[in-house]
Amino acid sequence: MAKTKSRQKKFDTRIDFTPMVDMNMLLITFFMLCTTMIKSQTLQIALPSNEKVEKEQQNKVKQSEALTIIIDGKVDDKGLSNPDDGMLYYFDGMPPSGEELKNLATSNPMKQIEFGNKTGGALPAVREILRERNKAVVEKIELLKKDWKDMKFSNNEEKNDSVYLAKAREIRNDSTLKRPVVIIKATPNASYAHVVSILDEMQINNISRYQIDRINAVDSAMMVLLQGENLKK
Amino acid sequence: MGKVKIKKKDTRIDMTAMSDVTVLLLTFFMLTSTFLQKEPVTVITPPSVSEEKVPDANLVSVLLSPEGRVFLAVTGSKDSTMKSETVRADLLKNMASLYNAAHPSNPVKFNNKQVETFSKMNAFGVPMNQMAKWLDMPTDERDKALEKAGIPINMNEDPNNLNEFQMWIRAAYNSVNPELQESMVKGRGIAIKADQTTPYSVASMVMDNLQTMKMNKFSLMTALKSEEE
Repeated sequence: MAKTKSRQKKFDTRIDFTPMVDMNMLLITFFMLCTTMIKSQTLQIALPSNEKVEKEQQNKVKQSEALTIIIDGKVDDKGLSNPDDGMLYYFDGMPPSGEELKNLATSNPMKQIEFGNKTGGALPAVREILRERNKAVVEKIELLKKDWKDMKFSNNEEKNDSVYLAKAREIRNDSTLKRPVVIIKATPNASYAHVVSILDEMQINNISRYQIDRINAVDSAMMVLLQGENLKK
Repeated sequence: MGKVKIKKKDTRIDMTAMSDVTVLLLTFFMLTSTFLQKEPVTVITPPSVSEEKVPDANLVSVLLSPEGRVFLAVTGSKDSTMKSETVRADLLKNMASLYNAAHPSNPVKFNNKQVETFSKMNAFGVPMNQMAKWLDMPTDERDKALEKAGIPINMNEDPNNLNEFQMWIRAAYNSVNPELQESMVKGRGIAIKADQTTPYSVASMVMDNLQTMKMNKFSLMTALKSEEE
């Protein structure tokens, strides 16, 4: 009789996990598809205010420091402006006025570059121009960057970063250095991507003084004249 | 002479380890995820090297389609002091009073249910006179209607006679959430999200509208581009 007791059936305590794994996989797939890992970046911009006082201040910009960039593009029949297609115009100094306007046809200060595709278009050329104009600042920043990479300001990474950022800002706003003032304008047909990429160039080249402005009659006249010249060639 | 017994092999694999891994992954995704917000138009933002992240709280984002249709999305504060729902409900009330002051002959009114529906909407963008009707629609119809709609906007340089888009921004500025107002002043509270193929005429209209209201600082949403050097 005692023997039957020891023959008690042993239960298998293992549970089949397969359905649980299935369910988990399903949930993982759901979460993977529904999440956004990459957050968008932002570009801070400040437009000049509409008040007249600032207009006068704008005019005080030294002639040698000003650089005007005008972005133009093409809008297709769907109402979209293709970011691979477009033209960039630029000229140095203040816009021509008075007597200069009469001689615009013969002495047009404006130059143009085609945007084209990503490689070898206007952007590398613009970067080159801006870097040249902002040479004093860019060179100082590059020296500073080297110190930053070597952790010269502090051994603490966070402190090193903050010292670097503060010093870089100081250099960018240093009025003793020769710094350009870039005026960015865009025609209604220009694509938004171009405007952003030009604003981006300001950051890349450490330009602290730039503004977005509206295109005016003199600008359009110069563009039309330049296009006319190119047609003749 | 017994038969040779072939040992039966157990074909079951122990799934415990696998289940451990999947649960771990699941936990990771659940904790890190921020859900994709449903947006009335899909836009591809232009690339830039800027590394500043979009703030996820106290933000009015202006979604701009290439044709010039405008949608808004408003979020509340990070902690639960000012939930998005509270801010949005207040926004609608503010907006209604601004709109009614400008259109006294044709006032709009919302019942509690409509306000509640609105407070749960991520993005919105229908003209104010259709808003009540839109909020009464069932969810799927509402999404469909939104795809064709947009907040009315025009070139307006008169700060005393705001258009509907400007009224919304003003309403958001005056909302119950002081943090939102602060970040809007600093320029981090308004973000424009536009497609890269948007013609500048469309983008500048929104910028000019903000400029008219003396909100000269705002941010543009971009996608990350690595700087090639």
